[in-house]
Amino acid sequence: MTVMRRFLTPNWLLAAAAPLSLLVGWRLGQFSLGAIVAAGAVCILAIRNAKWKSGAGSKAEAGSRTPPPMEDWSPPKNTPRPPTARRAATNDSLVEQMIAQGREALLLRPQIAASLEDSDLAAAQVALDEAMAIVPQGIVTMRARCFDDLEVADAPRGERLVQVDGYFLDRFPVTNEQYHQFVEAGGYEQMALWDESIWPAVLGFTDQTGQPGPRYWQNGKFPAGKEDHPVVGVCWYEASAFARWVGKRLPTDPEWVKAGSWPVPTDAGKTAQRKYPWGEAMDRRVANMWGNGVNDTVSVTASPGGDSIGGVQQLVGNTWEWTSSTFGNWEPVGLKIDTPMPLKAIRGGAYDTYFDTQASCQFQSGESPLARKHNIGFRCALGFCDVVLTGGGMDVPAASTTTDPEPLPESQPEPQPEETPA
Amino acid sequence: MRAGALEMDSFRLAAYSVPCPCHICDGGNTFDSEVCRHCQAPMALAHQANTQKIQPRMIAAIGPSGAGKTVYLGMLTDMLSRQIEDMQLLARGAFSIKLQQHAMAALSRCEFPNKTPNEPDTWHWIHCQVLRKKGKPAELIMPDMAGESLLEEVDHPHTFPVIHSFLTKCAGVMILIDAPSAESGQSEEDFHTMKLVSYLCELVIDKRTGWPERPVAMIFTKGDQCENCFDDPTAFARRHTPGLFQQCRERLKRHRFFAVGVAGAVGFRNELHGRLQVPLRIEPRGIIEPFKWLLDELDT
Repeated sequence: MTVMRRFLTPNWLLAAAAPLSLLVGWRLGQFSLGAIVAAGAVCILAIRNAKWKSGAGSKAEAGSRTPPPMEDWSPPKNTPRPPTARRAATNDSLVEQMIAQGREALLLRPQIAASLEDSDLAAAQVALDEAMAIVPQGIVTMRARCFDDLEVADAPRGERLVQVDGYFLDRFPVTNEQYHQFVEAGGYEQMALWDESIWPAVLGFTDQTGQPGPRYWQNGKFPAGKEDHPVVGVCWYEASAFARWVGKRLPTDPEWVKAGSWPVPTDAGKTAQRKYPWGEAMDRRVANMWGNGVNDTVSVTASPGGDSIGGVQQLVGNTWEWTSSTFGNWEPVGLKIDTPMPLKAIRGGAYDTYFDTQASCQFQSGESPLARKHNIGFRCALGFCDVVLTGGGMDVPAASTTTDPEPLPESQPEPQPEETPA
Repeated sequence: MRAGALEMDSFRLAAYSVPCPCHICDGGNTFDSEVCRHCQAPMALAHQANTQKIQPRMIAAIGPSGAGKTVYLGMLTDMLSRQIEDMQLLARGAFSIKLQQHAMAALSRCEFPNKTPNEPDTWHWIHCQVLRKKGKPAELIMPDMAGESLLEEVDHPHTFPVIHSFLTKCAGVMILIDAPSAESGQSEEDFHTMKLVSYLCELVIDKRTGWPERPVAMIFTKGDQCENCFDDPTAFARRHTPGLFQQCRERLKRHRFFAVGVAGAVGFRNELHGRLQVPLRIEPRGIIEPFKWLLDELDT
């Protein structure tokens, strides 16, 4: 049956019809009629054969589209890469990009660090080590603003010992260039970075041309030549949002004082603290204050001699620095300062601070969290407990390396930082 | 009686017979008077002036009570005496440093100085020399007058002869206006200042030497509490003190608006005698500009 089907095709029938018609025409004496039928069969066969050949040519061309050998294959540019390769490539660039943006703290979060390769982790840790100084745990004495005016009998009311956990503090204040990256990355549109209570006001945090950014910028850009000056004209909420963006937080008031005054525990539960990060007397060569003749901010690297023992630069002078704490926490009862709205504590003095004493580590001033002043900037902090610190050359002192502080009296509760890490 | 006592008494009697004119009101006083018996101005001014070849010029800082005259003058003198660049201020006589000392001691403790009493004999006076890079040294006398006394004198002329005499002789004046009060819509500030300008213009009628021709610096104080006054003080005046702005434009040919701030922020402390305003930090802003402008105007 299969053989019959193979030969019962139209071509075979036409080919057989031509001699048959000639034979039938010759036997019946109708040779001319038989010849005509045979010629017609041949013509039909010729036409069909021509159509078949053309169809066979198309098929041959189609057959030539076979994929090239794998070694010669290269995907088009817009062809997605394999998922594994894409993930690896994206991770590489993202890590570098985040380190370049100063967001290495995010990479060192335990949740993210677990998925990083060792080399990336080490790079992030090196970057963190370069950007931030270590402030070991310990106690710090916090004094009321009016401490010097208190009677001797009242002095204990104006002092409190506070336990501070170990943490990292930015070596330099946040610069215009660093803040510009935050603005460029759409920091003002990422509402997750902002306190929910402040969402309606974020639209008003604009520069002089109405673009999102610090108050004294124009067209979303900082003043020319001030890329390494501390960013100013940012309110407390903007500072907090930036800190969240880089995976850090603002330092608390005791943390800031501890970094600057570097307390050493002594007998009787007291501490010996420095008045200024470099010593006991103001030195205007290393701190940008009123009277220097500058009357403006200077580069964050402009006063290398003014660093603290831990290596934190420019804690005093140039700009005040936002902390996460509320102003007036350390005032004794009865001497509290009322303000129309709760203020946030600022520390360190600025380029226009007039009195030396008001730029000391112990001096606390306050400002409305919505104020965007010409002389208030910030730097960020990061708790030891918030990041992965194994390997990568990180040299974090263990808790036992710091002198154990005297136990705090029960009557002096430890104030907790108001802001939890982002 | 010892020998020579009679001669001494005679000498004193002779000295008493020579009147020593007050530098402010020109009233006669004895050579050993501490304050003028007519106007209560310190006689030290007259003694100082007599020893100088150049007659000191007088500049007044006036304004309603609580506008910040003491803080401004104290800050200005302290800044100029510490500064070693464009301008320097050298006090003449120990009494000229009292205001600076009083104001700075309070500000360094993060307090504002006490209110200036109404009695003229308790006011602080400054007699100083101002050295400038450009221009000749200037000898100046600047008192810290009480705001309430000023308004009393404006309402009832000749109540305080010292104010009347001093403002008559003044070469230029700085009128201080409480910017936060003006911004909050309290028209009192506007009215008080308008009264002062009006008083000045009627004090000296002469067209060539009267107040319309003398320089007047209108200074909005406490700029830390309303930062927008720093952006454009003239626009701030037009918006928030329209009466004063109009009066200045019509009556004073040489005037300019300024904004200054001494405290970075303020709070309040509840004391036994009431609520006390306290500065949270001291960061002077725009303090020298009005004074410099005034001196430049005096030179022209």
